Amino acid sequence: MNSRELGRKLTEEYLSAARNAREVGKFVAYTTAVSPVEILVAHDIIPIYPENHAVSLITKRLCSELSEAIERQGYTSHLCAYARCDLGFRETGKSPTGGIPDPDFLLACNAQCFTLVKWFEVLARRYRVPLFVFDTPQWIRDEAARRDILSYCVRQLRELISSLEELTGRPFDYDRLREVIRLSDEACRLYRKFLDMASHKPSPITIFDALIHMAIIVYLRGTPQAVLYYRTLVEEIEQKAKKGEAAVKGERFRLYWENLPIWFKFRDHFELLASYGAAILTSLYVHDWAHEFDLEKDPLVTLAENYVSGFSNVTLEERADMAYELFKRYDLNGMIMFINRSCKAVSFAVHELRDLLTQKTGIPALVFEADMGDPRFYSEAQVRTRIEAYLELLEELNR
Amino acid sequence: MQRATERLKEISRDPLRFLKATKGEKPLIGVTPGDVPHELITAAGLHPVVVFGTNEPVKFAGALMPDNTCSLAKSCLELALNQGRDLFDGFVVSQLDDTTQHLSDIWERRSVGKFFHKFLPPRQLSRPSAFEWFRKELERFKGALERFIGRRIQEADLWNAIKAYNRNRRLLAELYDLKRKKPGLLGNRLFFDIVKASFYMEKDEHSGLLEEVLEDLKGKKAVSEELIPIALAGIVVEPQGIWELFDEVGLNVVCDNLLSCSRYITSFVPEEGDPLEALTRAHFQKPNFSPIHDSPWRMIDDLVEMVKAYGAKGLIYIHLQYCESQDFDLPDIKRRMRLEGIPMLVLTTEFQTKHLSLMKTRIEAFKESVLEGKHEQ
Repeated sequence: MNSRELGRKLTEEYLSAARNAREVGKFVAYTTAVSPVEILVAHDIIPIYPENHAVSLITKRLCSELSEAIERQGYTSHLCAYARCDLGFRETGKSPTGGIPDPDFLLACNAQCFTLVKWFEVLARRYRVPLFVFDTPQWIRDEAARRDILSYCVRQLRELISSLEELTGRPFDYDRLREVIRLSDEACRLYRKFLDMASHKPSPITIFDALIHMAIIVYLRGTPQAVLYYRTLVEEIEQKAKKGEAAVKGERFRLYWENLPIWFKFRDHFELLASYGAAILTSLYVHDWAHEFDLEKDPLVTLAENYVSGFSNVTLEERADMAYELFKRYDLNGMIMFINRSCKAVSFAVHELRDLLTQKTGIPALVFEADMGDPRFYSEAQVRTRIEAYLELLEELNR
Repeated sequence: MQRATERLKEISRDPLRFLKATKGEKPLIGVTPGDVPHELITAAGLHPVVVFGTNEPVKFAGALMPDNTCSLAKSCLELALNQGRDLFDGFVVSQLDDTTQHLSDIWERRSVGKFFHKFLPPRQLSRPSAFEWFRKELERFKGALERFIGRRIQEADLWNAIKAYNRNRRLLAELYDLKRKKPGLLGNRLFFDIVKASFYMEKDEHSGLLEEVLEDLKGKKAVSEELIPIALAGIVVEPQGIWELFDEVGLNVVCDNLLSCSRYITSFVPEEGDPLEALTRAHFQKPNFSPIHDSPWRMIDDLVEMVKAYGAKGLIYIHLQYCESQDFDLPDIKRRMRLEGIPMLVLTTEFQTKHLSLMKTRIEAFKESVLEGKHEQ
């Protein structure tokens, strides 16, 4: 079975288990894509990601329709497209995947963004279920402060475990947590190996492959299935790399992408860029799940360290350093900086990030504004013209 | 009273002029609105001033942030980079949500050579870990201030600051009480001018003027019993002209949960024990604030309770355009108010809003509906 078939099978099994959870006495918890899900997995609670479901709604071009459904309820079109799609799904019941089951518990981690906390507050009121907010202060560059931040986070993880014990009536098993973290670590390292295949010249993958294959690391990390999936995927891509297969024929421009993708423009963007020999190879976003857990440490400490230090929760300077590291690792020669109306957390400081990265690399950047999910805030002609103009500029500079 | 109110109005309406005039007395520390314990800054011998943005056109900050950034954030940064550039000796930016967290990064980068501190309060208040974290964060803040001034902050100085702020809060609370009990004695604009002036002045000076105002008002009777008591919710009220609209239409604000009013006035610090512990305890007694998570229901329950406790006839919600926290809260607040039979009006505003005539029409219509017992939300 190849990775694509395996991915489809694992997804179907995962969704089926979630839908049948209550029949077998299991609990369902909604959680955010970047959260210490290992604790839920170790406690045999099925994690569901409304963000992932929202992506499936967006790629089926349902975002505008679902947004309009909740705008009629008084919500604004300025909200995150994921939240609008999710709340719209709850109003209309529309979903290409048959939807997701209702939650028994909500876990929101604000290292990713605060939007998720507010969105989950709406869901907590709607379903009258407990909401646990895992608060992660900014991972500032101050060693003493970092020690205190870690203590605060670890203390919160203990509080989370107590809440889950109360929910299920079962004691938490720390040995099981260690095993789940080991599996998570193995899958995350394989996932990172897959992402790093983009360092080959020509690259056998683009970011579009990474975006498709990241789904499993988001919702199945901590399981043997995720390890199997990424082992299969890495083997496949290694074969391609050995044969010198290029994801983009005649690859000339190796680009960095800042922000989440424009999910409903995947194919268009790939084709437009490929026609210029340009491949977007990576972003900090896809690397957000390339965790490295320290299995020698207290499991709660290594969880806290990994989940507090994601790219959207570090300082601007550290984020620029993280991106610059990708420029060096993948030998990039261009960058597209997307200001995503939906995602304030990632977009807010993009102008400053552009300045920092251009200073470090000497490479000019394309900056444009649109929305990751809602075509009403996407100007086809404008974005296309700007991408074309940028690629022509890169051609001039590389002559 | 005339002299005192004129002075307070003058400072509230042109704070930069006041600050420029007093510049040099003490180093000036600009503090973003929201949860920074000013007492520590005062105890360090510095002068904390709330950066409440500017109503001047945004020239610099706009180019540094996306278009759909809340105008309070843009306006605060604009003040720091433009009109207040040479005025402030340092800044403290409190990270409350996505906007303020990433704003603090940009702000710090643009504040080279000045004191700069990111204050990281807990963004959840529902568990014991939050209490411990806030206490720790106060220690880190105190340490940063001490490094800036080059000496330790003395405990006696901190207690003196706590007492000065408590006295100021008590006097403001007393004034608010008079406003409730004697409608019309003190207009909305004047009352909130007096509160706002406190964010720029030394507390003892402000309290002295406040005592004069109170002394004069205590013996007077209510001017108008016909004013409609209303509750106000939101973060800040901008533009300030909205207060005048309430006065013109005949509404008397009797309670609020604003960052720029009751969240300051009601946070009394216990005057015993360890001062940092006391500041921590005060933080946890503040009214609910939309970006900070507590219980998903508390924010709405508290509003209902506030409206009922103060006998308000309706609720006006000041919604700042592009404030995501409020955007998520509003539909559920409206739904609940409808269930409770509480008339509610949402006014969406931005800093730099100039045209208030449409807003006035909506406030007038709201007043009529409240009077007639009919309301649409």
